[in-house]
Amino acid sequence: MSVPDISAVTQAPVGSGSSRASLASHRFARAVVGFMAVALFLIAWQIVGGNEIIRSDLISYPSEVVETLFQMSASGELGSNLVVSLQEFIQGFLPAIAVGIAAGTAFALSRRLHYLFEPLIVALNTSPIIAFVPIVVVWFGVGTQSKAIMVFLAAVIPIVINTMTGITQVHESWIRACRAFGASKSQVILKAILPGALPSVMVGVRLAVGRAVVGLIAAEMYVSVRGIGRLIQVYSTSERAAEIFVLVAVVASFGFVLVTLLRRIEGAIAPWSLEP
Amino acid sequence: MSENSIAPARREQLVLGIIGTLAFLLVWETAARFDLINPVVVSNPTRIAAAFVSQLQSGEILADLEVSLIEFAAGFGLSLVVGIGLGIAMGLNRLTEYAVDPFVWFLYSSPLIAFYPLIIVWLGFGFATVVAITFLLSFVSVVVNTVAGVHGVDPQLVRAVRAFGGGRLDVIRKVILPAAVPLIIAGMRIGLGRALHGVVLGEMFSSNAGLGYRITFYAAHLRTADVFVPLVILVVIGLMINQLGNAVEARLQAWRA
Repeated sequence: MSVPDISAVTQAPVGSGSSRASLASHRFARAVVGFMAVALFLIAWQIVGGNEIIRSDLISYPSEVVETLFQMSASGELGSNLVVSLQEFIQGFLPAIAVGIAAGTAFALSRRLHYLFEPLIVALNTSPIIAFVPIVVVWFGVGTQSKAIMVFLAAVIPIVINTMTGITQVHESWIRACRAFGASKSQVILKAILPGALPSVMVGVRLAVGRAVVGLIAAEMYVSVRGIGRLIQVYSTSERAAEIFVLVAVVASFGFVLVTLLRRIEGAIAPWSLEP
Repeated sequence: MSENSIAPARREQLVLGIIGTLAFLLVWETAARFDLINPVVVSNPTRIAAAFVSQLQSGEILADLEVSLIEFAAGFGLSLVVGIGLGIAMGLNRLTEYAVDPFVWFLYSSPLIAFYPLIIVWLGFGFATVVAITFLLSFVSVVVNTVAGVHGVDPQLVRAVRAFGGGRLDVIRKVILPAAVPLIIAGMRIGLGRALHGVVLGEMFSSNAGLGYRITFYAAHLRTADVFVPLVILVVIGLMINQLGNAVEARLQAWRA
């Protein structure tokens, strides 16, 4: 570790006094320096891998990765496996949203019910979810069903927890206002509690995407016939790094696209929830 | 803490939690006894308990636990050293922070699980790969939180140490580290959970020892009851990490108040 520069701390008081202009210039510097660092890294990688300074089948190099990406998409191998993974994801994720919101609402409304299920929820939340992959495969087979179940298991817990938190944090005054105008219990839930809890629910859903993708890929890697995880397993024995980098990028984009899509949907149906 | 000091609400939580868990086990056991579910494939609590006893007696599960704990300690220890070191360097120097930030966020948001074949090619099958995966999964949360902790240090204190002739190391040791501790601990807490994930992931796919490996081994032999022994141990370790985190955070709150 090089000797750190203390002046950065002494000169920039946190949270006070920094004007908008200096904040913008910091942001600019951050973008420029970050971009340069990444560019330098890619150039160095290209030189080291491209010239076989380190064996390129071990580390590949950027232009080879991009080339491989085009080859794998052109052959249809990427697309067809991606569709399988996406189907498995949707089959597990939609039920997880439905069950997660329903259970979270029930737990928020009844403290006793929550206490009954609490140990189970905490255990599932704190344990490494991929440890369940083999048992789920034994129970539900090597096909798509076991993958959907893994997606469901990984996704449902954050949705339950965040729904619960969201509902308990809904402003008491909204509920009282509804009651004052003669709303029934179901109307209070539909008009005040669920919309008020939605931002927190969506945080849970976005968290769930990341976990579900890991659960899905792990299950496909463990045993499957098709899917992105299966491709990773196939290419893990090919001794070529380029395909693995492509697949890492594909899995990362898979999660990123889903989260972006969710944000769009959220903005359309509940514009209030995206406000800071 | 004496029993009387547990508040009624807390006691209700405890009692209902135990009832819920027992009911869950009872339903499972009954379903298996009456053949509503296939007890050989699905297993049931009494079979799992028997498997637990026999694996304990043979000592096999303890050997696996030891392997996992060593890998866990090595991977997480490494991520603490590197994470706190890099975090302080990034927190103190803007240029370093801006340059390293994209890589940290890449590691944080990329599915490291997909990387494991490369890590095996680089480091070989077994211990080193498991430790590397554990490290990669856990060190980012330590880095991010350390940076935030260093940024939150009161600059007045730094100036005071400098005014009395303190050097850079004095500033780091006397001001920055103590002030950043609460956030570093929060980062460690997240990192511990991710490290446990890393150990299991590494052992499942690139090892022939440890709890994660043992789960896949028994599953491949369709010994369902035996699968649950390492699985339950992992769940308990996860719960213990969580409880430890709660306790440390509660003490920190009390200490700061």
